[in-house]
Amino acid sequence: MKTKKGFNLRNVCGERIVVAEGIENIDFSKIISMNESSAYLWSQVQDKGDFTVEQLAKLLTEEYEVDENTALADSKTVVKQWLDAGIVE
Amino acid sequence: MPQDNSPLTVIQMANAQLLPEVVKLLDEGHTVTLPLRGYSMRPFLENERDKALLKKTTTISMGDAVLAELSKGHYVLHRVVGIDGDAITLRGDGNLSNEYCHAGDVKATAIAFYRKGRSTPDSTSGRKWRVYSWLWTRLFPLRRYLLAFYRRIWLKFFKPI
Repeated sequence: MKTKKGFNLRNVCGERIVVAEGIENIDFSKIISMNESSAYLWSQVQDKGDFTVEQLAKLLTEEYEVDENTALADSKTVVKQWLDAGIVE
Repeated sequence: MPQDNSPLTVIQMANAQLLPEVVKLLDEGHTVTLPLRGYSMRPFLENERDKALLKKTTTISMGDAVLAELSKGHYVLHRVVGIDGDAITLRGDGNLSNEYCHAGDVKATAIAFYRKGRSTPDSTSGRKWRVYSWLWTRLFPLRRYLLAFYRRIWLKFFKPI
């Protein structure tokens, strides 16, 4: 899968939120907010073509002290959330 | 934007930090939907129930509901009740007293309100808002009593209007 174009992370009052470029209205009653590790993954894969859950897990083990199984499980969770939020395809 | 099955959490941000960001987004040409807090625009708008659709202010007109920075970091969404050159007078529909600011402090104009969790907004150029505004503004001499009745009696028995 890959990230949809134009979904940029911005820091709004210490919250990492995703704001879609080109989208007219920004709805603060339903914003996509990312925690630190999710934001890290996003910044690594954004606009860099196709990525897999395994690649995300590898990125996590490189950056954080986490074993492979946990990293893989967390990556699956984050991908599901990104799909639900409609920011990857 | 999040679907039904994604984790939805409510993030409360302090107005003094959030609203400058909102103003930045408005300046970039976005419109912003902002959940409302407070009771100062009663009876039309209710705390933590309703949302405003905001657009960067181009012209200020009497009766507009505007987002203004009254002093550094202190923002209100209130109605314009007086314009004298650069001097703007505001008053919340649920308030009895006025606030004063300059035209440059008026950052955004409400172009619609989402009320009672509805997905279709009431436009401020639409009939409902205009009729309400006409009526409520003219009832100002009675406002003290109407608000007291609303708060002390109506809300004891019924839901917010």
